[in-house]
Amino acid sequence: MAKLSRYLLAPLAAVLLAGASYAQDMTDVGTPRNQTLIVQTFDGKTANPDAQNPLNNYAIWRGFRELGWSFLWEMDTATGKSYPELAADMPEVLNPEHTKFRIKIRPGVYWSDGVEFTVDDILYTLDTSFKYKDKLSFVFRAVGYIKEGSWKKIDNYTFEVETQAPAYDFNTVMGVYSWGSLFVPVPKHIFEPLGDQVVTFKNAPAVTLGPYKIKEFDPNGSWQLWEKRDDWQRSGWGNLGEPKPKYVLYKDFGAEETRTLAFVQNQYDEDTFMSPDSIAAAKAKNPAIETFSPTLPYHDMNDACSYGIYFNQQKAPFDKPEVRWALALSLDLQTVGITSVSGQFKPAALPIADTPITNPVFYKPLESFLNDLTLSDGYKPFNANFGQELVDKLKTQGTPESELPTGDAVKAGFGAGWWKYDLAEAEKLMNAAGMKKGADGFYTKPDGSPWTFEFTIPSDWNKVMQRVGFSVADAWRKAGFNVTARQVDNGEFTTVQQTNARLDAMVNWSNTCVYNSNWLNSWNSFNAGFVKPADSTEVLNGNYLRVTDPAIFDLVKASTSMEIGSDPFVKNGQEIAKKLTLGMQEINLMNIPTTIPTNSTYWKNYPKQANFYAAPYTWWSSFKKTLINIEPTGK
Amino acid sequence: MGVLQYVAKRVGLYLAVLFIGLTITFLLPRIMPTNPIDGYIGQIQARASGALTAEAIAQLRANLEELYGLRGDLFSQYVGFLQRVIFHFDFGPSFAFYPQSVSQIIFTALPWTLGLLLVSTVIAWLLGNLVGLVAGYFHTKRAGSVIEIVGILLYPIPYYILALTVILLLSYVIPLFPLSPSFPAGQMTLTKFGMVIFNSLLPALTLILAGFGWNILSMKALAVATTEEPYVIYSRLKGTSNWTRMMSYVFRNAMLPQVTALALSLGTIFNGALLTEMLFSYPGVGLIMRTAASAGDYNVLYGAITISIIAVATAGLVIDLIYPLLDPRIRHK
Repeated sequence: MAKLSRYLLAPLAAVLLAGASYAQDMTDVGTPRNQTLIVQTFDGKTANPDAQNPLNNYAIWRGFRELGWSFLWEMDTATGKSYPELAADMPEVLNPEHTKFRIKIRPGVYWSDGVEFTVDDILYTLDTSFKYKDKLSFVFRAVGYIKEGSWKKIDNYTFEVETQAPAYDFNTVMGVYSWGSLFVPVPKHIFEPLGDQVVTFKNAPAVTLGPYKIKEFDPNGSWQLWEKRDDWQRSGWGNLGEPKPKYVLYKDFGAEETRTLAFVQNQYDEDTFMSPDSIAAAKAKNPAIETFSPTLPYHDMNDACSYGIYFNQQKAPFDKPEVRWALALSLDLQTVGITSVSGQFKPAALPIADTPITNPVFYKPLESFLNDLTLSDGYKPFNANFGQELVDKLKTQGTPESELPTGDAVKAGFGAGWWKYDLAEAEKLMNAAGMKKGADGFYTKPDGSPWTFEFTIPSDWNKVMQRVGFSVADAWRKAGFNVTARQVDNGEFTTVQQTNARLDAMVNWSNTCVYNSNWLNSWNSFNAGFVKPADSTEVLNGNYLRVTDPAIFDLVKASTSMEIGSDPFVKNGQEIAKKLTLGMQEINLMNIPTTIPTNSTYWKNYPKQANFYAAPYTWWSSFKKTLINIEPTGK
Repeated sequence: MGVLQYVAKRVGLYLAVLFIGLTITFLLPRIMPTNPIDGYIGQIQARASGALTAEAIAQLRANLEELYGLRGDLFSQYVGFLQRVIFHFDFGPSFAFYPQSVSQIIFTALPWTLGLLLVSTVIAWLLGNLVGLVAGYFHTKRAGSVIEIVGILLYPIPYYILALTVILLLSYVIPLFPLSPSFPAGQMTLTKFGMVIFNSLLPALTLILAGFGWNILSMKALAVATTEEPYVIYSRLKGTSNWTRMMSYVFRNAMLPQVTALALSLGTIFNGALLTEMLFSYPGVGLIMRTAASAGDYNVLYGAITISIIAVATAGLVIDLIYPLLDPRIRHK
């Protein structure tokens, strides 16, 4: 279907796209268009739109985190720093072990039904989470983190609580890390009278703490309309300023083809993960449609996670660093990036995304490490000029110079460099591992028998990873690796990710998610308890990179008792990044290209590269910053 | 064979089909390479940016196995499944949307699917067959050939292309219909009902166009053959009118296989129309089944497939039972 739309329908659409953009006075849910911000839902339709109880699996992609809930601490996604939201300040640490905390909340915050929000709501949420921990499906984070029964009310606006282990990340576990928090306070006055029924309570329409309340939602799960509260100033984040739209509509505009047409017709304002081809077609027909940046790579590259290739490092021959390095050096990532995402990507060599927030913490300090990195045979694999070479290649392929970055913008746009494409060195490394090419041109096992392996990639539920995966597999086959790319649905993808017996290699992102200096957030599962035999069918509950290095385990363990962001903590993170890179334990490919085109017909001042006041994602809780900063165009 | 014996044999076959269908329905999702708990944990991990501790995941896994009823051996799960489905028509909770019940998910979507597909299938059948009948009966006339060309042109167009073309023409170039309609929520009023009908016109038109071509071609072929039958020629020699011959002699005989096809297609509409739902933002069970399959949501799959099996088997049974009324040759066998 993706190919069909790319090669057959795109030209058809280009012929028929007759610039049929027009102004609307009212939305089709009956609100004034110029007072309504309309965004494409992240998950399309949902089958459970009336599931609005955050203690259970709920219709999460309908604006709850962004508009409805409020959290103790929020994260400024422009800087990666936390700030108090419902809390009055950062948590106060009460003991040297860092297990006891006192939290004060802001007085004067009210639920959307007019009842005041107090510590009682938070403590009720904790009580209920523990009491029904085996029946509620969305309380596991607090239950696994807080010490049972340790909470104590001091007054209506102050409470104390203990954690099960030393905790230096209290504000990002009980508050937001990157895109949301798994601890959502619920209104005691609504939930408590339900007694045991709380485990099946749907909570629709939810009473909310944010400045918006639910006005209406489609029982078929295709849209949900939010309305600004009259008393938004006394909401959970009303202190940040007034959100501009009176209404926010989350709606699924259908398949990408119809979404593109609707976007051209100004029927909505922000899209989610539209493909680069569709964005180009839409931009050509409607000048109000813009990407994150006017120059390549055009899109936001600041997601917490990065795409990379994960191996079953316990399984031969992936247990040999020479083989993993050979696979990395066999990738012409410039060609992979151009064929799969039209060159709209930002390569990242370390096992972390290269963003304006992570760069000064990891990439800049490790620049000389990357440049000086030398393999056991004396070979230096790093290509610091990768970005400029990519620019040159795109230029020769016809990309207008005005859309290509120059000077320092090359590094900002296309990263600090990546690995060389060197098939001769790759072959040398394979030979050193005892693997030579056979008569068919493919590498064989050390005993001369054929070697094939499976490369697991997502099917069309993640089109960017799917395309990247196919392109990587193609490059490997050309380099002499007899690989089969296998597309899987998201459920099976997770099964492969966490079952050694099912994994050879896969494209993945889930163990390389570091938004700021808190690398422990993603790498805390590197410990010996999560190493299983190569052919184990047991479920792996973490350490999806299959790290086995005891030195890394020691660094992780030592860091759990350090202040997040402190020098020693950051140094340990850098050391782990170096070890993972030296052993090529993951071939990190690129930041996640997040394609969020905006339409400035009705609203302007969205977050952009040149105006980066927040991550531009409509499905992150930081979307609240967008709502405060956008302005009506007056149309 | 007596009537009772005939009916008993058909009903027995019907029950056997249902039992085999239910058993296969139970087993198939379990040999899929997808595990609903893994899928759910993957989603949770993604939402937590990979921050969940391994201990928390292990605890969550144990809780989910308990909640989803996936503890115990396969046989006891099978017996429990049959008991719940046969005696209570209860498919339990959805795994992907726990604690939402499967019945609620399906029965919210089903009226939309039935409303659209039932109407459009019947209209496509009626129009296609009437047009095909005229084309077949008057196949020596130029108009008959022209009608056939319409069928030949429409039939091979892939549904996806046909639907997109209709959308481009009637929602974009000439914006008569909404591109992505919002079906109204809340209490149904006359105005809202009107909106539902209006928003359903475009997908219905596309489905009718898609089904129309096949019905024209098949009915035309049947009608041409039937027109040459001796009893039709005999009736013409007896001086019957064209209308009588066409409707009473040709159509009545040519429609028998078409009725079977209609019954089977009515049975399959319970599967929903995934592409229609995706392209026209139309609510229905197709997308629910697709989501359930990718998430390994056994219970939703059980529910949707069971309803589909019952529908198809029932359609077959109804056809078997009413065929003697339509075809005297069976009645007098």
